[in-house]
Amino acid sequence: MPALRDNSGLLLALAVVLLLPLLLQSGTLATEVLVYALAVLGCNLLLGYTGLLSFGQGVFFGMGSYAVGILLTRAGMPLMAAVLLSIVIGAGVAALIGWFAIRQRGTYFVMLTLAFAQMFYFLAYSLPGWTGGDNGLLGIPRPPLSLGGLASVPLDTPWRFYSFVAVVFLLTFWLLHRVTTSVFGRTLLAIRENEARARAVGYDTRLFKLAVFAISGAVTALAGALHAMMTGIAPLSNIEYHTSEMILVMTVIGGTGNLFASLLGAAFYVLAADWLSTLWPRWLLLLGLLLIGVSLFMHKGLWGVGQGLWQWATGRVRAGRPAVREQSL
Amino acid sequence: MNVYLLQVVNGVGIGMLYFLLAVGLSIIFGLLRFVNFAHGAFYLLGAYFCFQAVAWGLSFWLALVLVPLAVALLAWAAERILLRRIYDKPHEFHILITVGVALVLQEAVILVWGPLGDNVATPAPFQGVVMWGSFIYPKYRLFVIGFTAVFALFLWWVLEGTRLGSAVRAGSESTEMVAMLGINVFRVFGLVFALGAGTAALAGALAAPIRGVDPFMGLEALGVAFVIVVVGGMGSFGGALAGGLLIGIVQSVMSSLWPEGARLMIYVAMAAVLLLRPHGLLGRG
Amino acid sequence: MSPATTMATSPRPGADQDVASAGAMQPLLDARGVVKRYGKFTALNGVDLRVMPGTVHSVIGPNGAGKTTLFHTLTGTVPVSAGRIVFNGQDITREPDNVRVRRGIARSFQVTSLFGNLSVRENLRLAVQGAHPSGAFDMWHAPGRRAGIDALVDTILERLGLHARGAEAAGALSHGQQRRLEVGMALAARPRAIFLDEPTSGMGVDDLDGMKALIRGLATDHTVLLIEHNMNIVMDISDTITVMQQGRVLVEGAPAAIRDDPRVRAAYLGNMITGGQR
Repeated sequence: MPALRDNSGLLLALAVVLLLPLLLQSGTLATEVLVYALAVLGCNLLLGYTGLLSFGQGVFFGMGSYAVGILLTRAGMPLMAAVLLSIVIGAGVAALIGWFAIRQRGTYFVMLTLAFAQMFYFLAYSLPGWTGGDNGLLGIPRPPLSLGGLASVPLDTPWRFYSFVAVVFLLTFWLLHRVTTSVFGRTLLAIRENEARARAVGYDTRLFKLAVFAISGAVTALAGALHAMMTGIAPLSNIEYHTSEMILVMTVIGGTGNLFASLLGAAFYVLAADWLSTLWPRWLLLLGLLLIGVSLFMHKGLWGVGQGLWQWATGRVRAGRPAVREQSL
Repeated sequence: MNVYLLQVVNGVGIGMLYFLLAVGLSIIFGLLRFVNFAHGAFYLLGAYFCFQAVAWGLSFWLALVLVPLAVALLAWAAERILLRRIYDKPHEFHILITVGVALVLQEAVILVWGPLGDNVATPAPFQGVVMWGSFIYPKYRLFVIGFTAVFALFLWWVLEGTRLGSAVRAGSESTEMVAMLGINVFRVFGLVFALGAGTAALAGALAAPIRGVDPFMGLEALGVAFVIVVVGGMGSFGGALAGGLLIGIVQSVMSSLWPEGARLMIYVAMAAVLLLRPHGLLGRG
Repeated sequence: MSPATTMATSPRPGADQDVASAGAMQPLLDARGVVKRYGKFTALNGVDLRVMPGTVHSVIGPNGAGKTTLFHTLTGTVPVSAGRIVFNGQDITREPDNVRVRRGIARSFQVTSLFGNLSVRENLRLAVQGAHPSGAFDMWHAPGRRAGIDALVDTILERLGLHARGAEAAGALSHGQQRRLEVGMALAARPRAIFLDEPTSGMGVDDLDGMKALIRGLATDHTVLLIEHNMNIVMDISDTITVMQQGRVLVEGAPAAIRDDPRVRAAYLGNMITGGQR
């Protein structure tokens, strides 16, 4: 049934979202999975769909946290307005950085994103009036969600907040699904496949890259904003190299070029971190080994492993089918 | 006036260490077209191996020879076992595998030596300061400047005067040609990677008495190394020297004026170079 | 009305013009003094080229003459170091390649450059859409909404003889099929001028006749600029031949004149130039 197939990613995501409360005891942990999944979706858009390896995702994540923190505490904005404005700010910062970064390609592009990430980090450190400097912004509230002034839904408990984040996550997932399967999304894939060819047939590849940067920034900032409300703080570490690195690691481990894989990667990392870090504080060493393994053997990440197992189990062979169908999730 | 002179000399000292740190990364990029995110980890290992060697009672001089060799051997093994398999893959995986290696090495360091860091004593003959009139400067830092200058000459000789060096320089132009000339390109890759790691480790060992050792010095070093390689020009020996000294001096002078600004500025410089003159001051790209 | 269908029904200007009166018309492409330097190396040293609409204009010359570089500058793949390029009355010298597609310039590459992992159909769809790139910013609808595009892709697939292979990955095609698809990518933009860079390169004897027929068929609807080493094809179908050597134009004229020109013989080191028997 084509409708089921085309939306299988969304259905799988829905299944995971419904499963998490059953499997996990901590609402905060479940929320963390979805929050980072959003960040990974943002990174995947750049890497998996457009072929852009960005070490700057932490900038957008951090900006989202700072923005929502400032808007909620100093401007006293209502919840949705603050979140939406944070998304816009994230898109704006991403467009700014992207405008510069896409002027170069390949390795030079990667190093540019790194340079900008470091710049923003030190900028954030030097402006404690805005960002709280080393301490970050503290005491970020979690105001109730007002539904058109008719009802006010409190989000105070972890599971209530999870429900809110789950709805936001599924909505974003669905929107990104439409974007990645749209004409625009297909054009991104073409740019990733062969940028010179894409230009030769008439596409202004810079404009497309800029657009996807803005979308990525928006989604990542959303993640940052939700993270800030989840934890109540907007720390400097959100904008640090380590955050950008971990978002990339989650993206690659989950698998690129497939939206559900982003949820897989985030879930894997967050749950592994939570579980393993109590067993062994040096669990990141295992993550490093996994990253090496993925680079050597598992280019399609956990999603690829799952797909391989499914094909083996159902006895289906997919030789000769072009990659464009694969991206439909 | 005296303060600035001091900062400039400091800057030269830091700059020479930066050169040592960056030259390996630059050469690796020039030949392998590889951005080695594990470079900072080799610097880290150099510092910690030196710390451990001294703690075991080994002479600092012996450590200065053995530590870079040990790290170079490790790097050579890593290149053979891991990196060689992914040269033909998209550049994302080059980057990600070295990120993985860096992570593993950093965590291993914390595993062995703990998360807090430590001090390394300045070797005996270089303790204390030199005094020239009103100019006071630590002896060890002068030693570092001198030693790295001599080592730079040695490295220059290796690159210009030996067959390995010629292979590296030719390989930077075209690996196909080099292969057709009968030179085992992969062996050269392995040696270059080892050389790059070894110089980074040497930088770490030399830096240890100045700034101590801590598990996160690798990340910090990686960032600075990238800046220098970009500003100086990827693949350029002279660029690493010019870039290292430039960044070292600028950072040193600015640290007395506006410390956070110094870190910010070097990354602004990196971005500016990448945008306006991606091949850097002296690079061929 | 979808742009693809309007373009399909409008007549191509100059397509049915008599060759004899072509000289009285304005050139479709007028390039003057084109210079291209790569550092110290000068690839093109002041090239003039005038291409009349509705003609097949071939560019030949020994290796290293600068033919592909000339194409790169004319299609906008690389910017010129000096010179002026006027296309259809517009100065396009500063315009990049993606903009020139909308002007009516499309090209194939000497070294096959397709979207290897995407299907043949998708390759062509992208090329068709590329002539109207603003439509590609649609972030909501999947492709396939515009029947005009699908119809055009089908037409091109038929013409290329690749209809049976539409769903296959472009990278899985044989070399000859890929070369045909290269031409198809240029066709998809419904250009005024189609630039083919060594379309038959590496092709086996079996595929050659098909390609020759394909290129000949293009001449009815398009102005064709052709770089070719296969003199059989060049002599047979060209209206004008420009011979290049070492970054300059050596001589230009009708096929018969070129074949007999001693300078051309010398440039090719005495190799026989055969063909031209219609």
